[in-house]
Amino acid sequence: MLVHDYLIRSAERFPEKTALVHGGRRTSYSELLSLASSVSSWLRHAGVEKGDRVAILNDDPREYISSYFGILMAGGIVVALNTDTSARTLGAQISGCGVSAAITQAKFMGYLRDLGKGVTSLKSVAASGLKPSDAGDEGYALSDLKDAFVFPPGTPARSARADLAQVIYTSGTTGGSSAVTLRHSNLAANTASIIEYLKLGEGDSVMAVLPFFYSYGNSVMLTHIAAGGRLVVNQNFLYPNLILDQMAAEEVTGFSGVPSTYAILLNRSALRRYKFPALRYMTQAGGAMPPRLAREMKSVFPDVDFYVMYGQTEASARLSYLEPHELLRKAGSVGKAIPGVLLEVLDEGGGPVGPGETGEIVASGENIMAGYWREPEKTARVLKNGKLWTGDLARVDEEGFIYIVSRKSDIIKCGSHRIHPAEIEEVLAEHAAVHESAVIGVEDEILGEALKALVVLKTGYQCSRNELLQHLKALLPSYKVPQHIDFIPELPKTSSGKIKRALLKTPSAPGSPGSIGQRSQKEAG
Amino acid sequence: MHDKIREFIFENFLFNAEGSALDNDASFLETGIIDSTGMLELVNWIQETYGFEVDDTELVPENLDSVNRLAIYIDRKTQAATRVSG
Repeated sequence: MLVHDYLIRSAERFPEKTALVHGGRRTSYSELLSLASSVSSWLRHAGVEKGDRVAILNDDPREYISSYFGILMAGGIVVALNTDTSARTLGAQISGCGVSAAITQAKFMGYLRDLGKGVTSLKSVAASGLKPSDAGDEGYALSDLKDAFVFPPGTPARSARADLAQVIYTSGTTGGSSAVTLRHSNLAANTASIIEYLKLGEGDSVMAVLPFFYSYGNSVMLTHIAAGGRLVVNQNFLYPNLILDQMAAEEVTGFSGVPSTYAILLNRSALRRYKFPALRYMTQAGGAMPPRLAREMKSVFPDVDFYVMYGQTEASARLSYLEPHELLRKAGSVGKAIPGVLLEVLDEGGGPVGPGETGEIVASGENIMAGYWREPEKTARVLKNGKLWTGDLARVDEEGFIYIVSRKSDIIKCGSHRIHPAEIEEVLAEHAAVHESAVIGVEDEILGEALKALVVLKTGYQCSRNELLQHLKALLPSYKVPQHIDFIPELPKTSSGKIKRALLKTPSAPGSPGSIGQRSQKEAG
Repeated sequence: MHDKIREFIFENFLFNAEGSALDNDASFLETGIIDSTGMLELVNWIQETYGFEVDDTELVPENLDSVNRLAIYIDRKTQAATRVSG
């Protein structure tokens, strides 16, 4: 099974059925396939060939989904990009994997025009909302696609299961931003497995609040298109009550969220006043959720199955889940491997650890990525003999249930985002007053982890918190701008000069933010 | 009232950026000035600053989605509180 076959088959089986609900607009499977076919036709017209990378920078779900499948039908590789971005991030991503075409919206054209001479790969852009007169030589107004390039559906390029289907940018386990490459077979294996354990079928519909450009949202999208289900999409979580209204009105059967989604619903919405008779299940992934929150959700909706899950982008999304009936008995566990995946907890020598002992989670299965885009050394550090060394440390109880203990890497899981501290520290270092800095994750009731920057200023320099925030905001996407900034006199380091991040997280430790944070802001102010 | 709300938004979400214009009618939802966790900060600030509880059912765009809407909402709530206590 190739990934775009999901849409083709569902459109054959349920042509008139609603595939997507967004902003009051309903799109049927046949319409979605027709749009995808147009995108595919345009890409082939634009010279995109098999294996070429095509970016999606688009927050309209109808355009996003049709572009996603259209790219695959043309034989291209989807590079779905976070729309909360900056010109610098976008430039690195587009040139990083040699994106040759992009499908976007007029509001993002400014970013693409600003990319400059450093980005030479990008040749063709289609944008919705763009006047044809503004499109230029290489641009094309997306609204015209459908009329301009109508090819009969079902003529996709000849891809094979082993061909790459998608590149997802994530903060990888080995540091920095990583471009995870996934084959058709990886995504198809994971999609089939998730459909199996969530028991998804054509009668299912999900309230999709997570962005599709991350692997969790991507799996929600793929599983529902594959199952012939319905996606009710509202990816703006500013007013959760609007989401809850829509869940009730559309009678959704499923809901997927990250820990912060559930924290917001429980603490800052009228959740307890709603009834969802059609709701069958909820899923949670994207970082550890305090068992208290899972218990609270279960007490509010005792008849709804609550699935705690665990995964990585490197595994196409999913690696394990906890059976809903074990939620209370095995609180805090991420369960056991999903169908088709083998999970082992191994010591550094590669041997299995005993019950209760801590080791690294190592995964194998058809869902494991091909590697990081053109980074063989980085890939070799995590893929060994076809197995993925996740960097997550865990213990296993005597019944085989896995409990995550900590992450080996420094990645901070803030809301639905994974952020490597180096991405922020590098930008801080560009400020004239900054000597050095360390960014850590601090416990946050809503976000899971909030970003905290500990900044050492150069001798004789002064700089305020707001000046630094303005600097960061100009160069980074807003979700990477730290919630907290403390100025400290020096960073604790090992003899080899490596920052002792664990020590920075300990409030009572010497040199830690807790002991010096208050005075430093004033001094630096 | 408007100035105080604007000051909070500039201080916390726009970081006092020079030249940042904020129309009092601009929708937070459409402009993306505030994200979901920012909205929680805003609600906490309203509760602490104006001394009333924001009910969960009041967390809707009609009350919160622009400087002007916030001002009307806060005004209505503080007046209601005054009437109750008076």
